[in-house]
Amino acid sequence: MSDPLSKAATAADIARAVASGAVTATTVIDAALKRIEAAEPTVNAFTDIVAERAKMRATDIDAGKVKGPLAGVPFAVKNLFDIEGLPTRAGSKINIDGPKAVRDGALVRRLEQAGAILVGGLNMGEYAYDFTGENAHYGPSRNPHDPVRMTGGSSGGSGAAVAAGEVPLALGSDTNGSIRVPASLCGLFGLKPTYGRLSRAGSFPFVDAFDHLGPLARSTEDLALSFDAMQGWDPADPVCTDRDIEPTVPTLYDGIDNLKIAVAGDYFAKGGEPECFEAVATAAKALGASRVIVLPNAAAARSAAYVITAMEGGQLHLPRLKARPQDFDPDTRERLMAGALLPGSWYVKAQRFRRQYRAEVLKLFDEVDIVLAPATPCSAPRLGQVMMTIGGIELPVRASLGLFTQPISFIGLPVVAVPTRKAGAMPIGVQVIARPYNEAAALRVAAHLEKQGVCVSTPA
Amino acid sequence: MADEKPDVARWVEEGAKAIGLSIAPEYRANVILNVERSLAIAQPLLALELDDELTSLAVYRP
Repeated sequence: MSDPLSKAATAADIARAVASGAVTATTVIDAALKRIEAAEPTVNAFTDIVAERAKMRATDIDAGKVKGPLAGVPFAVKNLFDIEGLPTRAGSKINIDGPKAVRDGALVRRLEQAGAILVGGLNMGEYAYDFTGENAHYGPSRNPHDPVRMTGGSSGGSGAAVAAGEVPLALGSDTNGSIRVPASLCGLFGLKPTYGRLSRAGSFPFVDAFDHLGPLARSTEDLALSFDAMQGWDPADPVCTDRDIEPTVPTLYDGIDNLKIAVAGDYFAKGGEPECFEAVATAAKALGASRVIVLPNAAAARSAAYVITAMEGGQLHLPRLKARPQDFDPDTRERLMAGALLPGSWYVKAQRFRRQYRAEVLKLFDEVDIVLAPATPCSAPRLGQVMMTIGGIELPVRASLGLFTQPISFIGLPVVAVPTRKAGAMPIGVQVIARPYNEAAALRVAAHLEKQGVCVSTPA
Repeated sequence: MADEKPDVARWVEEGAKAIGLSIAPEYRANVILNVERSLAIAQPLLALELDDELTSLAVYRP
């Protein structure tokens, strides 16, 4: 267990220390605010800090007014989550002129009901249409493990804040990979739950068909603790499931003995740097997974995810593209404009194909419980890098960092991104993919890898 | 004729008119580039043949 006031402390470490009376929530929050102040000039993770609110909340916890499994744990959220009294930036300049949120987003409220303490809003790629963590308005979030490199995005500030040890826990959103990509590039554990599992109410949307919310942390226990605290039906999000809550903490350390684990081949075994396949091989070896399975039509799934994203995003932002084009991040604007101009037949075909692909992939889960795949095709590119060469082919960084995440979120499967890191190298992640609503199995596999020392997250 | 490459510049120009989007001259080249990129990325989807019975999964619940 780490010192609860250090940057290495996990959410579980802090919650245990506060519950036992070893430290007060007020001391924890003061220490977090100091770490944020010290790290921000380097990592640029935060856009808003709600210090007074956090201190008041800590006082309530120390007075015994709020109890829960996360009591005293500081956390921060991607700035597309509503924070009462602040405009919901969603990485944009335009939204600053919009209304201030009248209440916190649903997941912020649920974490606070469990005792966690919000300390601020986090930088992100504009309107979440991003895999880099760069932002023309607020500057790029910078990778704490090497600040000249990208955090990945679009939950870039979430990746930076946790990897720098500013906070042990952050929330992000993942439409095509925006939790898993920064988790991979920043060396973190990230959970993209099943589509519809967690409420999206009180968050700024991007692509209704694929938008997910979830946590990034430096331990699987923190993912499980926060995930369990956030589960539950919410009528304010029409996509949110009304299934019973399925806690993952009780089974987290049950091991992997009864799980059938395979590695994704074909599409997921090419189109990346050797380091991403080595990461998968390392995890597979530790898990004794030798079987290779093929997700049929994965390339078409990535295409379809791209088409739906471009078209829903373009349509959502069309009024702003017409009224205030000059106020967009240039890297977002022209892609959204292009998305607004694609033929409707592409969209309908992509949605029809989604059903076919779902059926094909779900059939595979009759044979296996877990599939491993690379999270990103490479470790963190340099900030400002526009093109990258993979396997001799030059590819745009922005569109390509999600090559391996898009075919998975396309059908809403739950994924835990787990970190690997070779000595002297930047971190790179592996996707641990499960069948719908089986987050518990993916978390168990991640916890096993963590326990074996194969996947470990340490702050920079 | 079906195999003929589309004139993406014209596609952008006419499409933008159809949806009432004014694209400033300085943005135009990048919009065209992104439509061309989308066309390339969409190919694996567009090349598929889907069964007539295949309908999309709607979330809408009456």
